[in-house]
Amino acid sequence: MPRWIVYALVILAVASLLPFAFIARARGAKADRTRLRPIQNMGTQQKYLPQSENPLFADSRAMRPAVEGAVRRGTVIDDGAFARGRAADGQFVAEFPVAVNRALLLRGQERYNIYCSPCHGLTGAGDGLVSRRADALQEGTWVPPLTFHGDQVRGRPVGHIFNTITHGIRNMPAYGSQIDPDERWAIVAYVRALQRSQSATVTDVPPDLRAGLR
Amino acid sequence: MPTNNSETSRRFVFPKWSNLLRPALAVLMIGGPLYLTALAWYGGSPKTLDIGYAPVQPVPYSHALHAGKLGLDCRYCHSSVESAAFAAVPPTQTCMNCHAKVRANSEKLALVRESYATGMPIPWVKVHDLPDYVYFNHSAHVRRGVGCVECHGRVDRMEVVSQVETLSMAWCLDCHRNPTPRLRPPEFVTQMDWTPGEDPAALGQRLRQERNINPSTDCYTCHR
Ligand code: HEC
Ligand code: HEC
Ligand code: HEC
Ligand code: HEC
Ligand code: HEC
Ligand code: HEC
Repeated sequence: MPRWIVYALVILAVASLLPFAFIARARGAKADRTRLRPIQNMGTQQKYLPQSENPLFADSRAMRPAVEGAVRRGTVIDDGAFARGRAADGQFVAEFPVAVNRALLLRGQERYNIYCSPCHGLTGAGDGLVSRRADALQEGTWVPPLTFHGDQVRGRPVGHIFNTITHGIRNMPAYGSQIDPDERWAIVAYVRALQRSQSATVTDVPPDLRAGLR
Repeated sequence: MPTNNSETSRRFVFPKWSNLLRPALAVLMIGGPLYLTALAWYGGSPKTLDIGYAPVQPVPYSHALHAGKLGLDCRYCHSSVESAAFAAVPPTQTCMNCHAKVRANSEKLALVRESYATGMPIPWVKVHDLPDYVYFNHSAHVRRGVGCVECHGRVDRMEVVSQVETLSMAWCLDCHRNPTPRLRPPEFVTQMDWTPGEDPAALGQRLRQERNINPSTDCYTCHR
């Protein structure tokens, strides 16, 4: 066999492995290119999914934002204590319009830790991670959150705290669009529990557990 | 008859090594298709095509900073994940909760402020994208105790979100056939570094029994 054929065969054999080497490299790497879909199979259909784009609208949102004042189908229009935290005379309510029990407090704890603890901290002292970082940046725009354990917030009726979550207050943003009313009440109940826990005395502990404290 | 010497020398005679051509052809006919199949299988697999997709986003938003260092819970932004099929990417308002006051003049946040002022959405690029003929539901998984980390990886360590699983049908079915070792109590679904204090299979077994978790493998579960 002539030499050149042997060489050609060896080169061909090596070259045939190259595509595999390229693929192996692509496998490990991150890519910014849109994915290859060799066979489409109706993977992209003429329909609008949540948060997809629709060029017909100026803001290109296929999901149309609700018109101001629109009420979701099935919602009860309620401007009483449960939905607004205010009594008929416009005063903030001082009593919970929902039953306060262990389940509500646990739900409140979960929601509080998600939505409030970044700023107010896990105990409500105002030392959340975001708050600490914002303080450290010293930009002059950040107002530290108010502690829940001072007289000001301890003295607020529950309806006022509910209203604070719904509409925000002074430098605090509104959370009404992210948190439903029943969850807001659960959070208020948990805020009350935090306030009590931070100024608890030994008489708050059930007698049979007191021995374990010492 | 006397042979014409000059004529024979001009006539072509196959050299001896050409006998190898026939087995070589056989090797090519069997090896060629095998080679192409292997190439298509390896190159076309979802592991090659889908994993590692990390599009550049319009705002240099970092999960490693917000979900990792600042410890924000996933649900602070992806608030529909427990109640809806779709885990919405947050509206600009959610960013402005903090960024009205923090880094309020940052260059990197210019687009966020502009979007807030004009009401035009930020054009985030979708990373995970199932074909439209597949039905997927976040709440069905999250509420039953499948953690985000099982499907999205350590998002809290990603500067830019990238896809870490294939999202192929085989991948879905692997878990639907045996979810036991990948279940956790639902209160820990967003905790990225959660580890069961015990054998995951034993815990999963208990959770499955308590909560009657039986993912279906019927076609209409995901193709409806
Ligand atoms: C982005 C950070 C941030 C988050 C998140 C946040 N707050 Fe605040 N909160 C503040 C700041 C800042 C203040 C102080 C406002 C001021 O004094 O100008 C405040 C004040 C308050 C007050 C005292 C208001 C008063 O004067 O009575 C209450 C009560 C409160 N927050 C409750 C909550 C609850 C409940 C949540 C969770 C749903 C929450 N906050 C989430 C930043 C935050
Ligand atoms: C401060 C708000 C915020 C928090 C907290 C947050 N995310 Fe995100 N997330 C976003 C935004 C904005 C995007 C869209 C831009 C992008 O893909 O980076 C996104 C995108 C994603 C995507 C990709 C979506 C797609 O297009 O396929 C995943 C997956 C994700 N987030 C998971 C998580 C998980 C898991 C957590 C909790 C560890 C989390 N996120 C916490 C804001 C947030
Ligand atoms: C709960 C508060 C909070 C929310 C909500 C939030 N961020 Fe941030 N973000 C911060 C803090 C605090 C920093 C500064 C961290 C640091 O510099 O260490 C920051 C920094 C950033 C930076 C870097 C800015 C710079 O100049 O370095 C970007 C970009 C950013 N955020 C984008 C976003 C986007 C987009 C959203 C909405 C999806 C968002 N953030 C929601 C608290 C928040
Ligand atoms: C069982 C796997 C699984 C789990 C668990 C899961 N995801 Fe997803 N996620 C997906 C898939 C699949 C998609 C793509 C959906 C599509 O394209 O229709 C996706 C898409 C997303 C998106 C983009 C928006 C959307 O819905 O398409 C976000 C944001 C997201 N996930 C966040 C989360 C968060 C936060 C959690 C945890 C609370 C979570 N995911 C848990 C599989 C999962
Ligand atoms: C890590 C495990 C895991 C993965 C991966 C996974 N699933 Fe699931 N899936 C579950 C569990 C657990 C349930 C809840 C079953 C139950 O409630 O009994 C579930 C339920 C569902 C349901 C709801 C079924 C119903 O009865 O309504 C759908 C739809 C679904 N999965 C689709 C998918 C698709 C599509 C994928 C792939 C993109 C996928 N799943 C990947 C574990 C998983
Ligand atoms: C747990 C969810 C799940 C179940 C159950 C399921 N599929 Fe799928 N199927 C998927 C997903 C996800 C894809 C998309 C894979 C991809 O991205 O290519 C898919 C894709 C497909 C495709 C298109 C494949 C392609 O590449 O074009 C067919 C056909 C299909 N499935 C048939 C079935 C049949 C038949 C059954 C019942 C035996 C079934 N599926 C059950 C999740 C599921």
